[in-house]
Amino acid sequence: MPSAGIMTETFVSAAELMARVLGAEDYPFAVIEHPISSADRATLAARAERAAADCARLLLSREGPGGPG
Amino acid sequence: MLLSSTRHEVADMMAAQEFYHSRGWTDGLPVVPPTEEAVEACLEWAGLVPDHLVGVEPVRARAITAEKLAINAVMAGCLPMHFPVVVAAFTAMLQEPFLLHGATASTGGCAVLVVVNGPMAAEVGMDATFNALASSDRASTAIGRALRLCLINMMDVRPGAIDRSVLGHPGKISYCLAEDEAGSQWLPLAEERGMPVGASCVTVMAAGAPRQLMNEWTTVPEEILDTFASEMRANMRHYSIWPGNYAIVVPPQLRAHFHAAGWSKADVRAYLFEKARILRSEWAECGKGAVVRDRGGWEYTALSEPEDLLVIAAGGPAGGFGAVIPPWLGPKSRAVTVAIGACVDCEIP
Repeated sequence: MPSAGIMTETFVSAAELMARVLGAEDYPFAVIEHPISSADRATLAARAERAAADCARLLLSREGPGGPG
Repeated sequence: MLLSSTRHEVADMMAAQEFYHSRGWTDGLPVVPPTEEAVEACLEWAGLVPDHLVGVEPVRARAITAEKLAINAVMAGCLPMHFPVVVAAFTAMLQEPFLLHGATASTGGCAVLVVVNGPMAAEVGMDATFNALASSDRASTAIGRALRLCLINMMDVRPGAIDRSVLGHPGKISYCLAEDEAGSQWLPLAEERGMPVGASCVTVMAAGAPRQLMNEWTTVPEEILDTFASEMRANMRHYSIWPGNYAIVVPPQLRAHFHAAGWSKADVRAYLFEKARILRSEWAECGKGAVVRDRGGWEYTALSEPEDLLVIAAGGPAGGFGAVIPPWLGPKSRAVTVAIGACVDCEIP
């Protein structure tokens, strides 16, 4: 199933570690600012907009997860 | 016995410490060098071959073998007779309802609480009385520590790696106790959770730090439990509002009042199920008003059902103390009980 992961900045190292131990070292994902739980709606909407663009790029590009490479 | 792990040569005991610390293979405390003889002694005591598959970690499909568990058990200070408890506890942790990856990777900072029931607890030297929740005895401390070292060295559950805990708590060093079955008139925890009468068992729970309470000024069960309920509500107000497995530890002085009044563990659970509840609006009193929204009238229970409460008899003889041990984060991880020495995945030949 096509998918795109989104991590906050603080969890980038965790995501990279999990990708490595699961055998997908260069698995790409979108990154947004941390934290999200205390962000107001406008801030969250702006982050979501950027993340949506990044996710679209990940899903449609040849470098995206599961892409033809 | 053919061990498959890599051998490392070191000059002496101190060199072994620095070797292990420098590679991140410890919890910061000294370790017992896991010599072949010591590892084999653990395996022989448990009747396990080195490549015995204890289980598979479901998220990362990582195979957990008896040899690797034994190495970490030796490092933690376990004697061979402690090792079957370590194997059983890790077997329980690998069961899907426990959600091992989530519980050990979360920012929430829980630790694995281990409760040992049955005759094996006393046989291996566990003491369920004085100082029951920390440093009560060699066996409890070493068994609990072994699980943490297993997580570190077999699952990369190191601070900043898989372990993303913001704070953690001291139970991460070791969080293991036996139930004081000899000193209690209550049914043992494992038996209440469906295990055979008299079986030695372990129960694991993804748990926050113990919250100690005191009520020495009543003999009335309801009043004693109101103090426990208040502490559970405090956790719901300050930490997580979601229901899950809570544990309470009830030492002898308070237990005597329940026994005198004829209260069983089931009675305790039923009472706390009704009393440990808060309204979402209470979060506004704790600085969390932003998430109350229009749901202030919603009522939340600490327990989804009375059976979600683990009632543990343990503690020193004097003092009207008790403890509430909250769940990691609501119902995501479930407490799991298994028998020691039984293979839950083995097929009958």
